[in-house]
Amino acid sequence: MSRAARLGAFIVATLAILAAGVFIVGSKRYLFSSTYQLKTQFKDVAGLAVGDDVRVGGVHSGTVRDIALPHRPGETITVAMDLGKSTHEIVKRDSVASIETEGMVGSQYLALSFGSSGSADVRDGDSIASQPPLEMAALFKKASDILDSSQQSAQYATQATANIASISAKIDGGQGTVGALVNDKQLYNNLEQTTSALHDTMLHAQEGVTDFQENMEAMKHNFLLRGFFKNRGYEDSAELAKNEIERLPQGTPMKEFTYPAKQLFDKHDTAELKNQKSLNAGGGFLANNQFGIAVVVASAGMEGDTQKDLVLTEARSMVVREYLVETFEFDDSQLKTLGMGKQTGAALDAGWGTVRILIYPAGTEIPPNKQAQVGTSSKATSNQPLQAPVSTTPKPLR
Amino acid sequence: MSPTVSSSKNPINEFFEWFGDLGIFFWQVMRAAVTPPFEFRELFRQLDEIGSKSLPLVAAAGAAIGVVLSLETRHSLIRFGAKSMLPTAIVFSVVHEMGPIVTGLIVSGRVGAGIGAELASMKVTEQIDAIEASAVNPYRLLAATRILACILMLPLLTLTADFCALMMGWVSQALAEPISLYKFINDGFRGANFNDLLPPTLKTAMFGLIIGLIACFQGMRTRGGAGGVGRAAMNSVVLSSLFVILGNVVLVKLIIIFFP
Repeated sequence: MSRAARLGAFIVATLAILAAGVFIVGSKRYLFSSTYQLKTQFKDVAGLAVGDDVRVGGVHSGTVRDIALPHRPGETITVAMDLGKSTHEIVKRDSVASIETEGMVGSQYLALSFGSSGSADVRDGDSIASQPPLEMAALFKKASDILDSSQQSAQYATQATANIASISAKIDGGQGTVGALVNDKQLYNNLEQTTSALHDTMLHAQEGVTDFQENMEAMKHNFLLRGFFKNRGYEDSAELAKNEIERLPQGTPMKEFTYPAKQLFDKHDTAELKNQKSLNAGGGFLANNQFGIAVVVASAGMEGDTQKDLVLTEARSMVVREYLVETFEFDDSQLKTLGMGKQTGAALDAGWGTVRILIYPAGTEIPPNKQAQVGTSSKATSNQPLQAPVSTTPKPLR
Repeated sequence: MSPTVSSSKNPINEFFEWFGDLGIFFWQVMRAAVTPPFEFRELFRQLDEIGSKSLPLVAAAGAAIGVVLSLETRHSLIRFGAKSMLPTAIVFSVVHEMGPIVTGLIVSGRVGAGIGAELASMKVTEQIDAIEASAVNPYRLLAATRILACILMLPLLTLTADFCALMMGWVSQALAEPISLYKFINDGFRGANFNDLLPPTLKTAMFGLIIGLIACFQGMRTRGGAGGVGRAAMNSVVLSSLFVILGNVVLVKLIIIFFP
């Protein structure tokens, strides 16, 4: 390669590099493309400089050409910018210019918002509206304000904590009611003594009740009172409904024994058995046969007080059951009672009523016990409309 | 061609004498350069000698600088969480400072030594006196052409160095983390303007003036035999490098003032 060619090649190559550099920089400055100019006004440009980017919708689309200070105080700074022609379709008369910062420490740039589609096109040299810049200093001031207020809250929290600490110190020191409660051993001891005394009292009360029960039992067997209980036919009215079911089982009984009450009982208004031997037929059947459930059903005649008659029938069925259970060997849990109260029916005998032993086959559903309403037949009756057989319908006396 | 005869060996005197001689030399060269006849043939020879033949050296140095900058800056910027600024950092440091100063130092080494030794040997073999005797101005023929060649070639060499540095910077960056050349250049020149590109490149013309002037001056004031030639070559390199670096300080300050 000749000297001239070598030199020529070197010069051409380096000038090409220069040209490339110039064009790269120039394209960043929008020097070699078709542009138009817009203006906007700011009170404060927050460090924006000539040559800074102009971004439309975040896209670098132009350069700040000129920043002119006003001639008089009170006027605004005019910022002129060159924008690429490609933005002409989106930047309209109602676009707004604002000065933004790239990141926390980045350089400033001028941001333009898109115009609305109905707005007029901008022309070269037009002015558009602006929005005051958010300066870092202002941001820091805001942050500082927030910090101040949070510091105040922290102070309040500290105060509250101090108050709580003071309160707990007082409690710990035994001041005030709570403090006394927490700290006074005497008070605790008193409370404990009271509790233990109460416990003793309860024990005594229990003993008293047991004694009373025994006394009552003794009284029942005392000769002065024994007659009453003997005549009544049972001692404990609390047990009247112990085995009583609330209604008759479904289905037909496989065997039925019917006894006129007059034949079984001493008087027409008591449950004292007189002729219990006559129950042996039924008892024998229960002892010798398999059955599901047997019910002693007592019913009274139409005479007398309805309530008393209900209690009487309950008592009579209980007494019959007791006799059968004590006399014959079978599973007594299968023998239930049912006091029907006043009952109209065929087997009534001169107002004394009847006692029937109804024996149902295995598999018969056992109706629920009436036990829950111990000795309160009346209440049970009123609560259990299902127990319909207790009829209070007035019937003509026969 | 008659440097002031030093009246004493006082180093302070010598120091000022050196500057005075340099000023006289510069004046004579300037006067010779702007008056015809112009020595174009010699100028072209020097352009080739200083420009084209320095190209490989400058290109290699630029490429190395690009790689080193990319590696180092990458490491630092990752620490600051500003990795995306890497192309900008490389472009700006290469174009602003590294390209020009590296080119200046490389050329002052290669060309300064060449000119200094060549002119010094011509001086000690009395060739310069012979040129003068044949009615040719040695300042015009020997000094002005070399100095002008340095002034013209250094900016071009700087552009080459910049180019190689940016290419290798990109390659080195792309090896660490893939990035297209387009994005590298686009990111790198973001926010750049002509003040970033032209003044730093053109200031190397000033480096060229310094290198050419000092090398020619040292060569043409040589005294003594072969030892004088060696001293002249060494002084050319040392002083031109030194003045390039010192001159750069002033030039950078001037650029910042006049091309913000």
